[in-house]
Amino acid sequence: MKVTNRRDFIRMLAIGGGGMILIGKYRFLFASEPVEGILQAIVVDYDKCAGCKTCETVCSAFHHTVVINGETLNGLGNPKLGNIRVNHYNPDVDVPAVCSNCPNTPCVNACPSSPDERTGYGAIYRDKGTQTIKTNHELCLQCGSCSRACASDGAGVIVMSKENYPSHICDHCGGDPQCVKYCPYGALAFHNVDVQSTYFGMSAKEIAEKLFDKYYAN
Amino acid sequence: MERNSGQYGIVLDVDLSKGTIEKMPVSDSDLKNFLGGRGLGMKLLWDKINKPGIDPYGPDNVICFMPGPFSGLPIPSSSRTCVVCKSPRTSPVNKKYEHSSTVSYANMGGFFGPEVKFAGYDGIVVTGKASSPVYLEIEDDKVAIKSAVSWWGMGTDSFDKLLIEKYGNDFQSCYIGPGGENMVSYASVLNTSARAAGRGGVGAVMGSKNLKAIIVRGTGQPNVAKHKMYLDLLEKTRKSFRENNEGVIDWRSGGTTNALQWSSDNGTMAVRNYREGTFEEIEKINTKSSREQIWKRDFACFSCQLACKKSGFAKGAYGGMVHDGPEYETGTMLGANLLISDLAGLQKMIYICDDYGLDIITTGGVLGFLMEAKEKGMIDAAFLDGIDLKWGEVDPCISMIHKIARKEGIGKLAAEGVKALSEKIGQGSDEFAIHVKGHELAAWNINPNPERMMVTYATANRGACHLNSSNPERQNSSALQDSLGACSFASDWYHDEISYRNFIEAITGVEQTDEEFDRIGERIFNLEKMFNAREGFDRTDDRVPERFFNDAQTYGKGKGVLATRDDFKNWMDKYYAERGWDLITSHPNPDKLKQLGLEFTLQ
Repeated sequence: MKVTNRRDFIRMLAIGGGGMILIGKYRFLFASEPVEGILQAIVVDYDKCAGCKTCETVCSAFHHTVVINGETLNGLGNPKLGNIRVNHYNPDVDVPAVCSNCPNTPCVNACPSSPDERTGYGAIYRDKGTQTIKTNHELCLQCGSCSRACASDGAGVIVMSKENYPSHICDHCGGDPQCVKYCPYGALAFHNVDVQSTYFGMSAKEIAEKLFDKYYAN
Repeated sequence: MERNSGQYGIVLDVDLSKGTIEKMPVSDSDLKNFLGGRGLGMKLLWDKINKPGIDPYGPDNVICFMPGPFSGLPIPSSSRTCVVCKSPRTSPVNKKYEHSSTVSYANMGGFFGPEVKFAGYDGIVVTGKASSPVYLEIEDDKVAIKSAVSWWGMGTDSFDKLLIEKYGNDFQSCYIGPGGENMVSYASVLNTSARAAGRGGVGAVMGSKNLKAIIVRGTGQPNVAKHKMYLDLLEKTRKSFRENNEGVIDWRSGGTTNALQWSSDNGTMAVRNYREGTFEEIEKINTKSSREQIWKRDFACFSCQLACKKSGFAKGAYGGMVHDGPEYETGTMLGANLLISDLAGLQKMIYICDDYGLDIITTGGVLGFLMEAKEKGMIDAAFLDGIDLKWGEVDPCISMIHKIARKEGIGKLAAEGVKALSEKIGQGSDEFAIHVKGHELAAWNINPNPERMMVTYATANRGACHLNSSNPERQNSSALQDSLGACSFASDWYHDEISYRNFIEAITGVEQTDEEFDRIGERIFNLEKMFNAREGFDRTDDRVPERFFNDAQTYGKGKGVLATRDDFKNWMDKYYAERGWDLITSHPNPDKLKQLGLEFTLQ
C-alpha cells in the first residue's frame, strides 16, 4: 500500500496491526495495539442524510434525562447537547459527525493523564466492556489534547465542554443507538468499524468537499 | 427566569434608531391568545404601531421574526418562522392615508426559528432604522448590533457561504440580498439562501431599516409544562409518520413540484399571465424532468421527515450553480406563466431571484404582465430599456430581473409590482394586472374553480394569497398553524390524539376545548382584518382582477368556465355572513370582536 497522505497512513497503521512505533513528520508517537473484541460505530450514509437533525435531538434526549415525580424520563432533546452533530454546508450537503471509534484511538493516545492504578485507564480510554471511548473526569487534566488529536487524526468530533471536559463522544446508547433508530432517512447504521471505507476518519469539512465533487461537479 | 410554560414570555426588542436592545416581556394572556408566529407577531405589531398610516419604509414600522411554541422542540415539521410587519406592497382603492397598507406576514422553513428559541426568545422585534448597514448578532444573552457595511451588496448565496465560513455550523441566520437592500417592494427574507419568507415585501422592510442579517446561536431550549404527555405525543407522532409513510414518500419524491403536472392537467395553473390554466410543455419542467436532469439530493428543514427541498445542478449555458430546481410556485410563476420550459434556464432564473432576494411569485407576475402588455402593443421594447421580453424566452427575463433588483431604468417602476406598472401604462392594462390590494396572485389560477379561488384571493389579509383558503374555518386553522411554528405540509399527520391542541397543552400547560383552541385562529384572522380596517380597507378592496370575469380559458380542463360579477358578490356576501362581518364595509361586527376578546380594536 502506497502511503499518499496522512489518512492513508493512519489507515495503514490500523490495518497493519500492533507493534509499530513511528516517529517522523507525524508529530505523534504511536503504537497501535491489537484490538480486543469487535469495534462498532455509528456509520453515516452521506448520500441519504437530508440534514433534519433528528439524530442530534434523540441523542440529546436519551443522554440528558430529567427526573419528574421520581421518574427518570428522556429530556426534550436540545440538539446542542447531542453527541452527533450535523454540519450543513453551501452548496447543499449535510454531514453528520460522530465518533468513529478509531481502532488506533488518537484521543486516548494523546491523553497525558496518569492512568488509574487499579483499572489502568486514563482520563480518556477505550472501555473493554463496551468497546467505546469513555472519559473519567477525576483524572482529566482538562488540557484538550484528546480534542486536538481527534481534530487532526480523527473525525474531529471531540469538543471541550463548557466545563472543559471532552464531550460529544458516542457511547452507542448502551447498544441501541437512538440516532440509528430514529433517523427518518435511514442514513445512520450501527456497524463494525471499517477503516477502509471512503470517509473513515475524515473531518466533516473534508467529507463535504468530497460530496461537493460527487454531486455538483459536471 | 425561564418559566415552566414552554414559552419564555420574552421577545428581543431592538430599536435600530436608538441602538437599544431590550428584553420585552410578553403577557401570559397574549401567549395564550396569540401563541407565536403569525398570531403573536400580529399582536405585537398592533401594540407597537398604535396608529394607522405610518410609512412602511419609515422607522416606525416594526418587523417581527417569529418562531412559535413548537419551535425549538423536535416535533416533526416544526421549523417555520413567520416574518410580520406592515406591508410595503398593498394599498386600498380609496386611500385614507398616504401610506395606507395591510399587514404583511411571510413564512419560511429552515433552521432559523428554532435557533431563536434556543437563544431564549419567543421572537425578535425590530423597529427604527440604522444610519448605516448593520446586522444583529445574538448568542444567547449576548446581543449586539454590528456593522454590515462590508456585506452590503452581497447576494444571498455568497453571503450564506461567507456566514458558514465565519460562524461555522452552530449559528443560524436570515438575511436579505440586494433586492431587499434596494427596497424592491417584493424583496424576500431568506434562510440557507433558498428558503424564503417571500411574500409581502418583508425583505424590503428589513432593507429599509438597513438591517442586512440576523445571526443567532442559542444553547438552551424552552421547557414544557407536561413533560410526560409531550414525550408520549412526540413518540406517537413519529410512529404515525412511520406508519403513514405514503405521504412522506410523496413529499420526498418531488415536494410541491409534484403539483406542476396535475395542476396543469386540471387547468388550475397560472399560464400566460393567467390567461390559460394548462401548460402544453409541462412535461419539460415537471418532477420527472427535474429528477432526471437537475435534482441531486433531497433536503429537510429542522426535525422534518418530508425533505421537500431539492438541490439542483444543471449543465450547459445556464448551469454551473447549485440551487433548488422549480417548486410549484417558482416553476409556475417563472415557468408556465411565462411559457418558459427550458429547465436549466428556469433553475437559473430561480437562482438569480433568490440570490437577489426577490419574491419569485411576484417577479413572475410582473414579467408575465409586461410580456402581455408588450404583446398587446401597449408598451414597446424602448419602454423596457430595449429588453425584448417575449413569451418563452429566458434571457430577456434574466435581463429584466437584474434591472428590477438594481432598480435601474424601467426596473425602478417594475420593482413596485403590477399595480404600479398598470397605472403607468394605462390603456386598460389593469384588466390583466393580476393582483389584489396591490399584491400579486400566486401560481393557482382562479378559473376553473372561481368560487373557491376568488374568495381565497379576495379575502386574504396580506393581499392575494394562495394559502388563505375560501372557507373561514380553514382560514382560521391556517392562521393558527402559522402561529405554532408548524408546517402546513405536515398537517395531515396531526389529528385525533396527536392534535395541535394536545401538543399546546403539553407544551404550555393550557387546557382548552377544541372550540377555544380553534378560536385562537379566528382571533388572529380578525385582528389582522381590524389592522387593515384601521388603515382604511373595506369591502371595495376585496376584489379580484377583471380578467377573471372576462377571459375564460380557451383549452384544457378549465376551458370555458367563467364567473359573473353577481356570482362573486353572492359568494362574498355568504363569506362575510359566515364570518360575522358587516356586508357593506366587510368589517367585523362589534359582537364578533367582543366574542374574540378583541374589544381593544374598537377604541
